[in-house]
Amino acid sequence: MFEPFEEFDQIPQIVEKLADRDAAVRRVAVMDLADTASPDVIAHIGSALKDPSPEVRLQAAIALGEFDGEPAAAALVIGLQDDDPRVAQAAADSLAELKEPTAAGPILPLTEHALPAVRVGALRGLKELRHPESLARGIRALSDPVAAVRVQAVGVVGYLKPEEALPALIACCRDVDADVRKAAIGALAFTRSPRVGEALIAALADASWAVREIAAEVLGKSRFRNATGPLIGLLTDSSWQVRVKAVRSLGQLQAAEAVHAIAGQLEHGISNLRKEAAAALGEIASSTALPYLEGLVNDPDPDVRKNVRWALGRIGQ
Amino acid sequence: MDEIRSGQSEVECDVLVIGGGTAGPMAAYKARKKNPNATVILLEKANVKRSGAISMGMDGLNNAVIPGHSTPEQYTKEITIANDGICDQAAVYKYAQNCFGIIQELDRFGIRFQKDENGEFDVKKVHHMGTYVLPMPNGETVKKALYRQLKRERVLISNRFMATRLLNGRSGRVAGAIAVNTRSGEFLIIKAKAVIMCMGAAGRLGLPTSGYLYGTYENPANSGEGYAMAYHAGAKLANLECFQINPLIKDYNGPACAYVAGPFGGYTANSRNERFIECDYWSGQMMQEFYNELLSGNGPVFLKLNHLHEDTANHIEQILHTVERPSRGRFHDGRGTRYARDMIEMHISEIGFCSGHSASGVYVDEFARTTVAGLYAAGDMASVPHNYMLGAFTNGAVAGEDAIDFANGVDLDGFDEDAVAIERDRVLAPTRREDGIPPNQIEYKIRRLVNDYLQPPKVTRKYELCQSRLAEVREDMEKAMVARDAHELMRAMEVASILDCADMAAHASLYRKESRWGLYHWRVDHPERDDEDWKCHVLLSKQDGEMTCEKHPVKPYIIPIADEEKDAYYNQRVKAHA
Amino acid sequence: MPLANTATSVPVVVDEAKCIADKGCTVCVDVCPLDVLRISDLTGKAYMKYDECWYCMPCEADCPTGAVTVNIPYLLK
Repeated sequence: MFEPFEEFDQIPQIVEKLADRDAAVRRVAVMDLADTASPDVIAHIGSALKDPSPEVRLQAAIALGEFDGEPAAAALVIGLQDDDPRVAQAAADSLAELKEPTAAGPILPLTEHALPAVRVGALRGLKELRHPESLARGIRALSDPVAAVRVQAVGVVGYLKPEEALPALIACCRDVDADVRKAAIGALAFTRSPRVGEALIAALADASWAVREIAAEVLGKSRFRNATGPLIGLLTDSSWQVRVKAVRSLGQLQAAEAVHAIAGQLEHGISNLRKEAAAALGEIASSTALPYLEGLVNDPDPDVRKNVRWALGRIGQ
Repeated sequence: MDEIRSGQSEVECDVLVIGGGTAGPMAAYKARKKNPNATVILLEKANVKRSGAISMGMDGLNNAVIPGHSTPEQYTKEITIANDGICDQAAVYKYAQNCFGIIQELDRFGIRFQKDENGEFDVKKVHHMGTYVLPMPNGETVKKALYRQLKRERVLISNRFMATRLLNGRSGRVAGAIAVNTRSGEFLIIKAKAVIMCMGAAGRLGLPTSGYLYGTYENPANSGEGYAMAYHAGAKLANLECFQINPLIKDYNGPACAYVAGPFGGYTANSRNERFIECDYWSGQMMQEFYNELLSGNGPVFLKLNHLHEDTANHIEQILHTVERPSRGRFHDGRGTRYARDMIEMHISEIGFCSGHSASGVYVDEFARTTVAGLYAAGDMASVPHNYMLGAFTNGAVAGEDAIDFANGVDLDGFDEDAVAIERDRVLAPTRREDGIPPNQIEYKIRRLVNDYLQPPKVTRKYELCQSRLAEVREDMEKAMVARDAHELMRAMEVASILDCADMAAHASLYRKESRWGLYHWRVDHPERDDEDWKCHVLLSKQDGEMTCEKHPVKPYIIPIADEEKDAYYNQRVKAHA
Repeated sequence: MPLANTATSVPVVVDEAKCIADKGCTVCVDVCPLDVLRISDLTGKAYMKYDECWYCMPCEADCPTGAVTVNIPYLLK
């Protein structure tokens, strides 16, 4: 006879190995503890975060990513402040795995830590927890001197979708850093407030194509009817990827006044854009688009042809 | 390690789940959740931590039915049409209704789906068809998250045991399974009130063009044991002639994941940089178009991303090179391929069975029940069409919950002790020979024959020749295969499954005398689709020891599809006039 | 028919200086879906025993010390 199953109750034997003189043995013990998946081992793995060997600490920071709740967060907060950047990074990654809102408790104070990497890790961890107390800290961090911190702060605030944070998020649409602007515009997709519409329209003139792209997308998604003019203006953008989003949004807004401008895109060399333009003309379903679409029934691209046929069908109804 | 030892243990349980990949862990988890007093065993040939088709992770869902983006009715219609009408809709509809709940549950497990800056699932929009793509840019944590849940629910995990046969009970129910340890050759007899098979695709059936036995599209550990075991236990298997053939990156033989690149603007192009796929669905029709383009003067075929902004192409590269098959980055590095600059040459895969991608599987109903009482199947090996990963999770959950209820109402069934002795002799035979033919050579020959004769286009004469050749190989396998250690014994048992699957592929394909599902069942001698005679399932099973096929009606649709609706979809595929 | 041994170049390489299998680590051996890695009785370190690789990478990704490298098998690289 032999035992065919993985064992459950070996924790004390593994914990003994955490005191071994050989760091590699301690490291293996940390992995074995994590494999038990038992909440009882969190404290033991947490103690390994104070091990003299950075390799053992690294393993402990990785292992804690397998656990959740306040005890795991409390241990990871120590790892996040580790002198060894690999340990700190692993702890930050593990913090981002947390799901239980109670885990926010130990993390909250770190949003104002002296080290930017710690602030980034703390905010990144808080985002998914959606804890109400993280809102005020997130809003404060929107004006952090470090761009990477501001990007994470946008996430924390954006996940909570608070109306009171709109002024601060709108201000981030004019941030000096393009990643922050892009994140802020994405975070404003939850509201149809006119102030937001204005900020998004202003962002259509952003220097970064990725910012213009997301602004065009959100304007359509949130149905800002007054954006059709500026979106039509975007159809001469130097980036075809930006034009694709503008065309799509004009379709969503059913902007009949945009038919001629959209039809102009049907000539573009990139078939992605022709395809989107045909689909948008179908959504708008104005008979003025008929002559343009009929010219494209034999486009070399099958997706363009399909959308043209679909659009012609919609207009015919 | 690996020396053959003689040993045998017996265990009893309420529910035995065979296969610890995707569907299996979910089935075991749900069974224990529903009845925490039940004994649930999860048996796995490798190690549950990293086994199955998604051992490394998954980079997105392509069949997520999420409220606000698509409806269960729309999804069921589209899958029915993609399957050329051969579809028992109840299971598909149930999947479509349940899968969003499963996504939310997986999210709570710590499996990460892409979210927008407001924390909502970032479903990628595709026009006027249903929208089903939900990216998982950090999907490498899937298996670890599942493993944690299994440990917490105290599922009994048994790694490195390969099930070789099911035990048929005296009352006609399933009674358990026989397994052999892949490192010692010791036997484990598991008596069970219900058995759930989640043993993956038959992915080691055709030979990849590289000639490397393990360079398959599917995880090569998925060698078709589920299909073979279900067959030998008397269960019926559906539409095995509807092969799996997938688009892939040439030579690397891994998925191209055009559906990941699609929302960013990437697409499959021919050598003129143009799209050529007319079909809207991942289906045999799409693969036929792919195949035609490869063989026409318009090939080769490429995944095209180099028209995108460099940042976008690099972003896609970063996703595709880190999640589902991360060695893909290493493969491209070796050839100096950069997505922002170069098109990526594609090809089509070897054939296999896999309901996850097509419709070939053990026949199940909407409760994941097979035609044998107490025996369930879920995931790639069960007949719910176009399941993919989310279908494996969702239907695994269905199987676990139904099987535990079944087990609560019955006792262990008795079985014939001789069956164990006979199976031990069959399994150990290759270890009792001093010399002979090693499993890898027998496997190579079977799979080479599969490529030579069974790969579509399907020609009757070639199929008959293949059956003769396979019968000769079977004789070699039964009389001369030699395994020198427990690891080779595992391979030897896999070879037996591969041969059974090759026989089933030939038999089912010859039975259906029409062409259907595009390339998957292109019968040159019966080139037209024949709805009058063949708009039905083909069920294959073992009757009195013989491989037998029968027609089985498609269940009446619960989501009706009007003719003009079908036409509306087909009309969009009209080709350009020359 | 008698058996012969044919040479094959295996894709998985283990850096023995980094490998801690001799300290009780079995991660790479555990996570391989094809079960092709073993720990050598001679050196106490992990190595690829069978050339049956799906180049799927859990052995490399899960190795705690970065000792494992998965190369693309020669036939398809």
